[in-house]
Amino acid sequence: MNTPDIVQRGGRVLPVVVNDRESEARTPANRLYRIPDAARDPFTPCPPAPFMRAGEHDLTRLAPGRPQASGEAIAITGRILDEDLRPVRRTLVEVWGANAHGRYSHVIDAGRNDAPLDPNFYGFGRLVTDDDGRYQLRTIKPGAYIARTDIGWWRPPHVHFSVVGSGVRLVTQMYFPDEPLNEKDFIFLIVPAADRDRVIGQPAATHAGDRAFRFDIVIRGRFQTPPDLD
Amino acid sequence: MASEDLKARFTPEATIGPFYPGAFLTHLPQDLWTVAPLVAHHPQGQPIVLVARFFDSLKRPVPSLVVELWQANAHGRYRHPQDQSAAPLDPQFDGFARVRTSDEGVLRFYTIKPGAHPVRRESAEVRAPHLRLTIFASGIDRLITQLFFDDESSNQSDPVLQSIPDPRVRGRLIARRRRTSGGGEGVGEYEIDVVLRGEDETPFFDDWDG
Ligand SMILES: [Fe+2]
Repeated sequence: MNTPDIVQRGGRVLPVVVNDRESEARTPANRLYRIPDAARDPFTPCPPAPFMRAGEHDLTRLAPGRPQASGEAIAITGRILDEDLRPVRRTLVEVWGANAHGRYSHVIDAGRNDAPLDPNFYGFGRLVTDDDGRYQLRTIKPGAYIARTDIGWWRPPHVHFSVVGSGVRLVTQMYFPDEPLNEKDFIFLIVPAADRDRVIGQPAATHAGDRAFRFDIVIRGRFQTPPDLD
Repeated sequence: MASEDLKARFTPEATIGPFYPGAFLTHLPQDLWTVAPLVAHHPQGQPIVLVARFFDSLKRPVPSLVVELWQANAHGRYRHPQDQSAAPLDPQFDGFARVRTSDEGVLRFYTIKPGAHPVRRESAEVRAPHLRLTIFASGIDRLITQLFFDDESSNQSDPVLQSIPDPRVRGRLIARRRRTSGGGEGVGEYEIDVVLRGEDETPFFDDWDG
């Protein structure tokens, strides 16, 4: 995608997800503008250090000590690295996903399909990476859900990830290996074929009894150590 | 080539989808006028309200669109480890907010007007006061752009704004000050329409390295 032609004329033309009406109506049609070199300071949003409550990395319970949500509890672990492959330390990671039945706790998901809510699952959590850029979370393996009934488009099981901190910003979705729906999902298929393994969690050694997946994230941008870290 | 190897390793981005948790909006600042109820909090500078309306290609409002705003303080200094500017930090201003559009596709952002700042320390080139927007919504991946103010003469020489050749397109990044202020005395209210796609499409920037 980094052809000399694009470098000369400007930035990328963003692809549209086929059969996705929101993508068709909302993706800019014009080529992105390249930021002039003189003003390419890499300042990305730098939110104030988050205040975390205990257990926010564990989505399987509404709070520590509460009952576990239904479905298969899984662990997801990995490292977050910047474009120089340096760890992105103590950065905010936000995750969200559907419950085991493929239903989100989000109010607009009501009535979209017949999948039930789980009273023990909200499906969102937060954590902060450690000094090696490592993170670890626990959630319920999400169910698939239908995105468009008229064409039978199902979203495969996936977990949404957001990373925001000094120097990096990324939102992505982690898919699971060996899911036949992956290859039929238009949002998965817009990822260039050579990069698809980057968005699939890899089976890993069991973690505290839970089936585990490894999901490493490499983000464009350079981590800038905030002054209060060192 | 080594650089190509590194590029190939990047994790692809994706949309936030339709079910972005509202909790993530309450966990982070949404209003830079107010730090908490009943706390005397006075960031330096001129209080302003930005009213931004977001539209799609069919001129429909875009609800539940999430914007992360990032800006300099009134002195033109960012609270960012990389900002080595000589301008002072404001102890009561961080410059980051995460806000969401209403069902009518409108967001109201309460902040102070950012200061102008040199492109780099000791650089003669000056960035006009601007807000940096990172935009997320169902159907799009992360978009970035910058918004300016129509009462700032430094717009004429801002390197980012002026990098857009067509003045009509450039104008789509300039918020207009409302004649009558809805926010009370001394508050500047600015409005802008952001069109994600189609006629009068807002210009967006590419922050991937070419
Ligand atoms: Fe989803």
